Amino acid sequence: MQIIEGNYYFPQSNKFEQVQLHITDEALSLFNNHQCLMTCLSSQAEFSPSIPGIPIQINFDDGGKFVAIDNNQRIHESKSNLEFLEKNKPLIIASIFLIPALMWFILTIAMPRMAEESVTLLPQSVSNEMGEQSFEIINKLFLEPSVLPVERQNAVKLQWQQALKELSLDETRYQLHVYASEYFGPNAFALPNGTVVITDDLIKRLDDNPDAILAVLLHEIGHVERKHSLRIVAQSVSNTIAIAVIFGDIEGIGEVIIGTGSTLVLNAFSREMESEADDYALEKLIQLGKSPTAFSDAMKTFLDLKSEHESGDLLKYLSSHPEIKDRIKKAEEFGL
Amino acid sequence: MDVTNTPAMTDTSEPHIEKTTREVPVTFSGDTKQFFGIWVVNILLTIVTFGIYAAWAKVRTQQYFYGNTKIEGHAFSYLAQPLQILKGRILAVVLFAGYSLALEFYPLVGIGILILMIFAMPWVLNQSLRFNLRMSSYRNVRFSFKGNYGDAFVYWILLPIVSVFTMYLMMPWALKKADEYVYNNINYGDKPLKANLDTGQYYETVLWIFVASMATMVVLFAATLILVGMGTAIDLENIKSSSAIVVISIVGTALYILAISVFSAIYKGRIRNHIFNNSEYDGLATFKSDVQITPYSWLIFVNVVAIICSAGLAYPWVKIRTARFLAQATTVIIENDADNVLDVMAESQSAFGEEAAEVFDIDIALT
Repeated sequence: MQIIEGNYYFPQSNKFEQVQLHITDEALSLFNNHQCLMTCLSSQAEFSPSIPGIPIQINFDDGGKFVAIDNNQRIHESKSNLEFLEKNKPLIIASIFLIPALMWFILTIAMPRMAEESVTLLPQSVSNEMGEQSFEIINKLFLEPSVLPVERQNAVKLQWQQALKELSLDETRYQLHVYASEYFGPNAFALPNGTVVITDDLIKRLDDNPDAILAVLLHEIGHVERKHSLRIVAQSVSNTIAIAVIFGDIEGIGEVIIGTGSTLVLNAFSREMESEADDYALEKLIQLGKSPTAFSDAMKTFLDLKSEHESGDLLKYLSSHPEIKDRIKKAEEFGL
Repeated sequence: MDVTNTPAMTDTSEPHIEKTTREVPVTFSGDTKQFFGIWVVNILLTIVTFGIYAAWAKVRTQQYFYGNTKIEGHAFSYLAQPLQILKGRILAVVLFAGYSLALEFYPLVGIGILILMIFAMPWVLNQSLRFNLRMSSYRNVRFSFKGNYGDAFVYWILLPIVSVFTMYLMMPWALKKADEYVYNNINYGDKPLKANLDTGQYYETVLWIFVASMATMVVLFAATLILVGMGTAIDLENIKSSSAIVVISIVGTALYILAISVFSAIYKGRIRNHIFNNSEYDGLATFKSDVQITPYSWLIFVNVVAIICSAGLAYPWVKIRTARFLAQATTVIIENDADNVLDVMAESQSAFGEEAAEVFDIDIALT
């Protein structure tokens, strides 16, 4: 028999009494000054899980409750494994190292792979719908009709059509649009349905170098072919969920720290996607019989646009595009 | 056991006037080392069980904090069952995944979903409060929340939106109304909480924050001048300017965190004091909260810095010291001849709202 000192709380009220709990194999009895207050079968009571530093609690079926006084006293027979783990020094220390390692594995290896696998299961209609709806919003907010001469636009489009044909890409899927945009500046982007937009400013910048324009457009096709936007969506959503589930209700600065970690991972991931698209563009340039230097020419133009301080080492990890100089180097080495 | 309160037993035949109330502290006995073990092991178990254990982790953490918070030696209890939490959480996660994917894949549909969310939010928050209070008990009597959707929509959505159009002039009043809604709908057993809040206090608090932010601007301006001065001095001495930039950005960040800590201490501290000092369970208890703004600001500031510098490992320490600080600032004045409080029979409660609030990150904190 085990005796535990504690308080007994009566059912459905805040009344309580100081008691001694007597525990035997079959029954629990409560005594107050050697008077038995109540007794019940062990099966009519539920023991709360033991937690370090928290006294044992017993909820009786009739709504009454017993709470021990001594924080560390435990029922003899029921050893809680969880409490044992939570007090286990080697495991606690190991956790400090295991958690970051596992998080790193989840965020940089498991999630990207899952994202890659899962987007191949998505029907084409999802990409199409996503592309169309995004385009509608972007178009309304940031794009104005092109002000370039029609011949100039057509020249770019003609070159695009020819490249598509030679690379046997779906001409109905890949649609090129030319727009003026103050927001995007000299830029080009692709949407998951195959819509590719190039801005007036970029065409003007690369006016004397049609192959460089083609290189940029091929890079954008690379994003579409490799389903990059779908992958990044799948990954960022699954990261958010994983973090919310694992760390629970962490508020304030904790959230910021974990959020930063996950952003860094996503940035690394999108740098990876940029170089995937670069590789695609370089490969296709060669296939078209063009020089890969067309790509490095385009990159040099972007480099001119970038302000000086962005080439710092620290910022490299923060930015989502690979360092342009690296990309130029890669393009120059590609043909060798 | 320091059970000094057996009011019924005291000799009432004595002629001299007896105090009819007793003032008792709220104590918090949580221990950083102990909680660190619980926290870190629970996270590890959550990861290796692919998130399933998170429900158990949550219950154990809550039970740790409730069980260490005591009034007159009686601890609070957290009554939720892990399986209940798990069910609610699975539903919430599935919905959240659907919601975020829809938002990303179908941006136009997403706008519609966001509008839907505005209408769902009061319901979710109500459910969350209802669940959390229902799962909290003191001396075997449960708390409850009886707020309804209509009021929740008015106080959490409508008034804040309307006050934006008054250039936020109405905002302190709207915040007061929202607090009144929450605290006047809390019950302890069959006893309702009554909170008589004063609009003036909310305006005064906001005014203090305004004054503090003005002072911050002056300090920042002065600091910039000094740093620029130092910067030129450093350049003259031909020291690498990158180290100067590092120093400036660290000092700047620290000042920024300090300012935010002060603002949040002013708001949370003053409003908490006001709510506690003006709430009562009729015939049962009143409360006193005496959060001092300076130590509270410092507490928040140190918390943030500690979390950043330890890459999150200081989280258990931060949780424990914050709980201790707030408990120490709180006293309860209990009526000696308080009638018995009766527990009201509980209807079964779903954890979905609470879990949804958590996963969608829209939960509301009771001070």
